[in-house]
Amino acid sequence: MAIILGAGIIVKLVLLLLLSFSVVSWAIILFKFFQVQRANSESERFMDFFWKSKRFDAIASQVDRFANSPLTVLFNEGYSELKKVVEPDSKSDGSALSTDLGGVENVSRALRRATNSEITRLEKYLTFLATTGSTSPFIGLFGTVWGIMTAFEGIGKTGSASLAVVAPGIAEALIATAIGLVAAIPAVMAYNHFQHKIRVLINEMDSFSTEFLNIVHRNISGK
Amino acid sequence: MSHPPASRIDTGAGVCFIASAVIHLTVFLLLVWWGRLFPQQTAFQETYYVDIVNLPVADPQSGSSAQKSDDGVAVHPPAAPQAMTAPVPAKTPPKSITKPVKPTAAKESAETESAFAERMEKLESGREARRAEAVLDKLRSKQKGAGSTKVGMPGASGSEAGSNYGDFIKSRLEDALKVTSSYSTKSPEVVVRLTITAEGKLSRMKIERSSGDAIFEMAVRRAIDLASEKFVAPPNRTVFENGFIFKPRGISSGSSR
Repeated sequence: MAIILGAGIIVKLVLLLLLSFSVVSWAIILFKFFQVQRANSESERFMDFFWKSKRFDAIASQVDRFANSPLTVLFNEGYSELKKVVEPDSKSDGSALSTDLGGVENVSRALRRATNSEITRLEKYLTFLATTGSTSPFIGLFGTVWGIMTAFEGIGKTGSASLAVVAPGIAEALIATAIGLVAAIPAVMAYNHFQHKIRVLINEMDSFSTEFLNIVHRNISGK
Repeated sequence: MSHPPASRIDTGAGVCFIASAVIHLTVFLLLVWWGRLFPQQTAFQETYYVDIVNLPVADPQSGSSAQKSDDGVAVHPPAAPQAMTAPVPAKTPPKSITKPVKPTAAKESAETESAFAERMEKLESGREARRAEAVLDKLRSKQKGAGSTKVGMPGASGSEAGSNYGDFIKSRLEDALKVTSSYSTKSPEVVVRLTITAEGKLSRMKIERSSGDAIFEMAVRRAIDLASEKFVAPPNRTVFENGFIFKPRGISSGSSR
């Protein structure tokens, strides 16, 4: 640990920055891990439940059981929009035809909006992982270059270029690159992993929206 | 506006942040603990160096050089060869130390000094004549071999380190010849001059004389090949050149002319 304490102020700052990057990125990794995990498992269960039940209002009463799935948000949005479209129809009788196409369009828009907001929610903080993955090696490299510069200054002052003089400075400097890589590697790996998982969830949401719209369309036109 | 269900369980960002900080602290403490468990191992390197110096005891050639450099005093005290050669000239005024000396020493009292000198001269000239003949190498090698076996020291002439190195090479060659030896004639003999570079590589091998036994010659060549893998650098980093007389029962090192 003396290797870190002996480093110059710039190198220390770089190390501190990298450490904070690492702490934050690991916090995000943990956060995203639990979020995506729950979203996946509850989406699966929600889809099972969705296909088993016959009625939207029955699903709507049970939807809180799958609260962590993005699909429930889509369902809630679509269902509330559907209710808004259908209810005025029941109040002012006789205008069923007007709701035919416009109602489905409304539901579709609501679903698209909900999908977008869910994607935003899932991708939140992921940019930080990408930033950490791409910049922290460079930050570490900066620390190393700076450390080596100071080491060479020291050599110039003492006038001796023996390994005993050069080695400690370079070792101190290299620590920065090492920490930079330690911060970057998990961040990049996690970023790729979550990107993939979220893409799967987006696909699920898209297919759910189409299914939902199909059901709505069938019911309205079948009325 | 989306309406996330009220019962959504999102693990709080704060909780995750604290968990992450705890993980980092744990890793840091583990590293510190690891460093304390295995402290820096710089002290060992010096020990290795000392070991390298002491190691060559197992190795004849390096051993001699180590002795020479470290405790040269310990090597020199048994200056037996010098002590032995000194009395010989005292006994017989001329420099000969060969067999014919004995009878002359016995008859010394009966003869006059001039007669003795004449006789000695004759002997010497006879010996020189014989030396001039082709048996020169053989004789000298015999003498050397006898000397080394009796005294337990390498041949008296030449620098001590060099003689030791020659013996080292000879012993390697003998080991190799034991493996390869084969011959068709009764008593084959091959004289080979070997040149070994300062790096311990066999640079030149010249057959000076051969009794004409091709099979034995081949065996000698193979023995030299085999042995050359085990050659080490000569002492003082000088080029080593010496003749060796190969015979089925062993090798004697001839002189380097």
